[in-house]
Amino acid sequence: MAGTLLLEVGVMFAAIAGVGFLTARFELSPIPFYIGVGMLANEFVVGRLGLPYVTETAFVTVGAELGIVFLLFFLGLEFNLDRLLADRAHIGKAGAVDFGVNFGVGLVVGYLAFGAVIPAVLVAGIVYVSSSAVITKTLLDLGWIANPESTPMLGTLVFEDLVIAVYLAVVSAVVVGEGSLGATARSVGVAMGFILLLALLVYFGTALFERLLRTSSTEYFILRAVGVTVLLAGAALAVGVSEAVAAFFVGMAFSSTSAVHDLEVALSPLRDTFAAVFFFWIGLVTDPLSLFGVVGLLAVAVAVTTPTKLLTGFYGGRVYDLDARRSLRVGLGMVTRGEFSLIIGAVALAGAGATLTSTTAQRIYAFAVGYVLVMSILGTVLMQFAPHIESLLVRE
Amino acid sequence: MSVYETDVPGVGRKFELELRGGARVVVVVHHDGRCELYYRENDESDGRKILDLTSDEANKLGSILEGAYFESVDLDALTVPLGDAIIEWVDVPSDSPLVGTALGESGVRSETGVSVIAIQRDGETVSNPDPGFEVEAGDLLVAIGTREEQTALRNLVEGN
Repeated sequence: MAGTLLLEVGVMFAAIAGVGFLTARFELSPIPFYIGVGMLANEFVVGRLGLPYVTETAFVTVGAELGIVFLLFFLGLEFNLDRLLADRAHIGKAGAVDFGVNFGVGLVVGYLAFGAVIPAVLVAGIVYVSSSAVITKTLLDLGWIANPESTPMLGTLVFEDLVIAVYLAVVSAVVVGEGSLGATARSVGVAMGFILLLALLVYFGTALFERLLRTSSTEYFILRAVGVTVLLAGAALAVGVSEAVAAFFVGMAFSSTSAVHDLEVALSPLRDTFAAVFFFWIGLVTDPLSLFGVVGLLAVAVAVTTPTKLLTGFYGGRVYDLDARRSLRVGLGMVTRGEFSLIIGAVALAGAGATLTSTTAQRIYAFAVGYVLVMSILGTVLMQFAPHIESLLVRE
Repeated sequence: MSVYETDVPGVGRKFELELRGGARVVVVVHHDGRCELYYRENDESDGRKILDLTSDEANKLGSILEGAYFESVDLDALTVPLGDAIIEWVDVPSDSPLVGTALGESGVRSETGVSVIAIQRDGETVSNPDPGFEVEAGDLLVAIGTREEQTALRNLVEGN
């Protein structure tokens, strides 16, 4: 049968579980560690040492793909349009400044580094979007969830989620396109058409989805939900539309059914498993040496986008009438970047040889990985040390 | 007293209850039912985690706070030691032939077969009343006996 394939998958899951155990002890975000252990186990590290390494098998690739699908599915499932609309004055202001400044700065940095528009847009996306997963988890771990600063943070994240769904739809169509203007327009058109279809499905399909999930068996329930989600995401990818965005819309469609809570309970173990595979895969296809090639860009991006996020977060806190101390916390909290930056990095990699040259795609990808490694650790550390930073910066 | 309710994406729901004097209790209910309770002294202070409960614990605590808590009674355990006997409460009306007689002479035990295990009078309970205890109008006899014996007791007390 599969020969050593099962063993390789076993090594992967054991490695993921092993570092998860470590991060739980040190109260850090596990994401950089999943990436790190993937990097350690790949052909570029243990492979160079002549030891057996984990190869990028189809299983790992598809597993990572499923990780993206489930991450975005949950984003859609828990996407709260009502909250966005009810609080649109605040969220709109905080979110627009957050987008304008951070995406804008990313465009400039990206253009200076690559001298072209598409790489600049990719870099801008990578540095713009904060990590919902890590930030929400840290909010809970530190108990900030009970404090007023959690409101602007969660509000801004909702805004970012929506922006990134639109962004991914357009950018992945552009990047994977043929490169000529006509072909690009066509693939963007297909993407928009597909998304319009999905949006209609979200709007009119509630009864259909409701009926689909009506079963007393947990087994059938999970299988139906997974069947619909992965089928539509796969169909999207097959016609050149971002699978992540398709999954986001499917999640949204399910979010108006009465089964939301059951879906969250039943599918979160799947999401956790495959999201970890996604982060592992990110490390697995990264040559650590490639990070040295982008070290300058990384240093600039970290030096520039840490303060910009701090400032826009601070402004977000002010929009909600928080005092200086709490507004500073909002800024510190938003610094963390994570899963979405990596998804954008993966989009760049998928465009290698199409719109992007292979070298550019590799460099953007390496940048995304390096940037997330730094920012996810820096962000959680900033949050943990927030009390000290506050007493330094804010006079009582 | 206002309650603020918000969604926390990926986690669950958050409830904020304003208390007297401006303090707040924040409850985070996770999708899996886990429940975290925070307390904030006032608007300026940070939340302090006071409890982290499992779903079951949270439900139990909730029902206690609501005043709806009761330990369910194991009926089998209760009836077995008593056998066929049941406990009943019997009012002594003012026209009862028992009024003014001592318990031992009333024939309660010799005629009906029940044992009076307690007598309640004016909110006080006299347990194990001795045979000289004089029954008064308005007393409540707590008697143990079989169903037939209880019927006989009621007939005796009511003078039928």
